[in-house]
Amino acid sequence: MSDPARPTSTAAETPRKSASTEAVVPRPSTENVHRRRRAHRKHRGVGMIWSALAWIVGLGFFFPVLWMVLTAFKHEREAYTDPPTLLFTPTLDQFQAVLGSGMGLTLLNSAFATAVSTACVLALGIPAAFALSLRPVKRTQDVLFFFISTKMLPIVAVIIPLYVIVNEIGMLDNIWALIVLYTAMNLPIAIWMMRSFFLEVPPELLEAASMDGASLATAVRRVILPLVSPGIAATALICVIFSWNEFFFAVNLTAVRAQTAPVSLVGFITGEGLFWARLSAASTLAALPVVIAGWIAQNKLVRGLSFGAIK
Amino acid sequence: MTKQSTISRAEGWRRRGPLLPALIFTIVVTQVPFAFTLYYSTQSWNLVRPGSREFIGLRNYLYVFRDSQFREVALNTVILIAGTVLISAVLGLAVALLLNRTFRGRGVVRTLVITPFLITPVAGALLWKTAMFDPVFGLVNFVLQPLGLGDVEWVSQFPLASVMANLIWRWTPFMMLLILAGLQSMPTDVLEAGRVDGAGPITLFRELTLPHLRRFIELGVVLGAIYLINTFGAVYMMTQGGPGVESANLPFYIYQRAFLGFDIGQAAAMGVITVVATILISTLALRLLFKTFTATREAA
Amino acid sequence: MAEIAYKSASCIYEGTDTPAVDRLTLEIEDGEFVVLVGPSGSGKSTALRMLAGLEDIDEGTITINGTDMVGVPSKDRDIAMVFQNYALYPNMTVAENMGFALKMRGLAKDERRRKVERAAQLLDLTEMLDRKPAKLSGGQRQRVAMGRAIVREPQVFCMDEPLSNLDAKLRVQTRTQIAALQRRLGATTVYVTHDQVEAMTMGDRVAVLKDGLLQQFATPTELYDSPVNAFVAGFIGSPAMNLVSAPVTSEGVKLGGTTLPLERDQLAELHEHGLTSATVGLRPEQLEVAHPGEGVDVRIDLVEELGSDSYVHAHLTADDTGEPATLVARSHSRTPGRLGETIAFRKSHGPVHVFHPETGQRLAA
Ligand SMILES: Nc1ncnc2c1ncn2[C@@H]1O[C@H](COP(=O)(O)OP(=O)(O)OP(=O)(O)O)[C@@H](O)[C@H]1O
Ligand SMILES: [Mg+2]
Repeated sequence: MSDPARPTSTAAETPRKSASTEAVVPRPSTENVHRRRRAHRKHRGVGMIWSALAWIVGLGFFFPVLWMVLTAFKHEREAYTDPPTLLFTPTLDQFQAVLGSGMGLTLLNSAFATAVSTACVLALGIPAAFALSLRPVKRTQDVLFFFISTKMLPIVAVIIPLYVIVNEIGMLDNIWALIVLYTAMNLPIAIWMMRSFFLEVPPELLEAASMDGASLATAVRRVILPLVSPGIAATALICVIFSWNEFFFAVNLTAVRAQTAPVSLVGFITGEGLFWARLSAASTLAALPVVIAGWIAQNKLVRGLSFGAIK
Repeated sequence: MTKQSTISRAEGWRRRGPLLPALIFTIVVTQVPFAFTLYYSTQSWNLVRPGSREFIGLRNYLYVFRDSQFREVALNTVILIAGTVLISAVLGLAVALLLNRTFRGRGVVRTLVITPFLITPVAGALLWKTAMFDPVFGLVNFVLQPLGLGDVEWVSQFPLASVMANLIWRWTPFMMLLILAGLQSMPTDVLEAGRVDGAGPITLFRELTLPHLRRFIELGVVLGAIYLINTFGAVYMMTQGGPGVESANLPFYIYQRAFLGFDIGQAAAMGVITVVATILISTLALRLLFKTFTATREAA
Repeated sequence: MAEIAYKSASCIYEGTDTPAVDRLTLEIEDGEFVVLVGPSGSGKSTALRMLAGLEDIDEGTITINGTDMVGVPSKDRDIAMVFQNYALYPNMTVAENMGFALKMRGLAKDERRRKVERAAQLLDLTEMLDRKPAKLSGGQRQRVAMGRAIVREPQVFCMDEPLSNLDAKLRVQTRTQIAALQRRLGATTVYVTHDQVEAMTMGDRVAVLKDGLLQQFATPTELYDSPVNAFVAGFIGSPAMNLVSAPVTSEGVKLGGTTLPLERDQLAELHEHGLTSATVGLRPEQLEVAHPGEGVDVRIDLVEELGSDSYVHAHLTADDTGEPATLVARSHSRTPGRLGETIAFRKSHGPVHVFHPETGQRLAA
């Protein structure tokens, strides 16, 4: 059964649907019922295989992450074994060691840069998205394409002058330099994404509110924002993911004081030899916040990643 | 008449107002540095030789194009992006089809599948370099041992492929998400009509599902390529571009030239070349794609 | 209360050359129920939105009680609007929806509640006050939209096809409710619809628009009895008036083999214009079915049975010009004839409408 169309064609027949068609057909002949049942059973068997395969694939993708988390709870000697150790007594030693060696500060830096830049993105992006959707400016299309084209600008093309400028103004190793850059990095995505949420609001709502005597600001606050707040939350989560994971700016523009969590991982490979368990603990700590943010935002992830093009 | 036109001009500014902070901020933070990059690319400027800075026109570009390492790196970049994007798209399609059925735990499986995309890239890269690809203790060799392939030094023997493997692991979920969204936006009545017309599952897939998915796959490919051009952490963590520049991509190579070689002028020229190539390819593709996806309300 | 006047008001959308509403002049009296009607794209919504302050008035002006409205934002015009898709605030309950305008006006909470409850009672919405719009049926949503408009006790109601999302039966029912409500509240109302039956049954006066131009502004009976041009004649009435181009003779016009006599002043005007042919209009109810030879001979194409009446669609048999003209007659008999049978249509009552063959303007009264 290597028939790739199976899943799509079966998806159309949700159980509820087939039940309702049966209800419409008045009293089928017994023979028909039998045939249908048999077909149903065969269907179920094939379906189980596909479901099992889906689970295997899912676990396969997840396994490296799981392994990382497991390793984080091992003693160093259990991390290097051939064959790999599956059963072990978990320990929190590695986490203690990692946090003791100063990773706490980098986590705080990451959290600060992420939170503040995301807040800035929303502060700049919500009005902009509004001006590109519900109350569109002239040449909306051009502005939108300007924003998206900045995402096509490979970061590497601007890193040199940024380094020079940041250095000149004495902002090297300063978290605020990262905040500014992360805001610029996420703003286009956020504007496109939030715009797609704003476009789902019927424009008559604004008109109705203005006829009801609300000023534009009130109408936006009382009518529009409550409607788009789930979208804004999803946008914020996506900005969180991108800025937390950012590495290139961070590695070039920070050193000690403003180092972020991903950069701190570099320290674990440059020492003499690798400490896998400790590295895994550090990686787990660095990855955990965004993995959770992404899990929460997963239904809106596509929209953010596709600049709102795909709902 | 004049009265009205002044009113609409005021209205124009009222509409523009909310947009301006974001627009100005973006221009200042992205375009101004790029203008500097353009300027630096005309300078002979190496930080190791202070005071050596001078205007040399387009000669940096000449040096860059003559640099065989640059050509190798450019090729690496193309291979890395194209390979990752295409393989991820195929795998993503397969996984999306698996996940487009209703089955017990579907939400959980989807959550599991997307995790590689969420995890911090450098953490993921380290994970592959160590736990997966380590010649002695790595899981890949452990799994391959029964097949008699147990002692490959993946990262040093196949550096580019190793990086790509990590990237595919990371980007397949991305493709899967886009394609799954496409599958779920497929109107079921079309499939039903096709089935009534006597099409079998393979025909249905080829004639109806794939054409519908095409735009989604295309969008995934273009967006994936745009995101992937910025790949840096994986190379940095897994191979440091080595051996030689065998696994370096443009961001890494430019970084090396600028921050380790201190050759600002040439690094800037390479940056400009990267941008021009990226923008040429992606603007066209994106304009076409977004036309089909987004409806716009223009100013009234 | 309010008198409204459109004075050569035009609206030109950006990026278009032709005005969506072209020099519209209308004088609407206090407390009047005026319906704007016309085919799709004729500028009805635009005209209404200009009054509501949702579109700019690019030329001319609109006054309410003599006050120029150009540049006055809609929130300061004291107008309530019912939108086609209702535009209820999805995040607010029915009560909050209805009370929003009062809240914006700064009314105290219990005052607000009292007004909302009174309106809800009027519209039979009392039980739904705490529900969100998503949990209401289409008809209920429509009533909430009405309620949101009436709690404000505005000078003017604007309604843009408020019934078009309802099913046929509910539409008829709500039609009469809205008309009754308006009489009771006495607020000047401008109502947009593309449904001429709605226009005729609800409006004190009806303005017929086409391509942004006002065709006629009159009472329903006037529109029906003396449409100013062939467009209005064809637009008002269902089924539509029969409009046939016919050659002019000395006593009237030649229809099929027979002559349809015209009034003396109609003939005089035809001669005055030197016209040899004219567009004549006969409403289906002005024609009755007769035996062949007793009128214009026609062959039956289709019989529409409506229960009490039937409509007979037929074409002229004696027509020698290429495409035979078709006519519709209303018959009180259920079996006026069979398909393909030759019968005759005879004019029963009322005057024949005559229009200029090129301009479509009505000739004589
Ligand atoms: N925002 C707009 N921009 C440009 N042209 C518009 C806009 N809105 C309407 N038009 C044009 O103005 C004309 C009048 O539109 P309007 O909406 O007033 O028609 P309508 O009579 O309400 O039609 P309908 O019965 O279909 O609602 C149409 O030709 C329409 O295409
Ligand atoms: Mg309309």
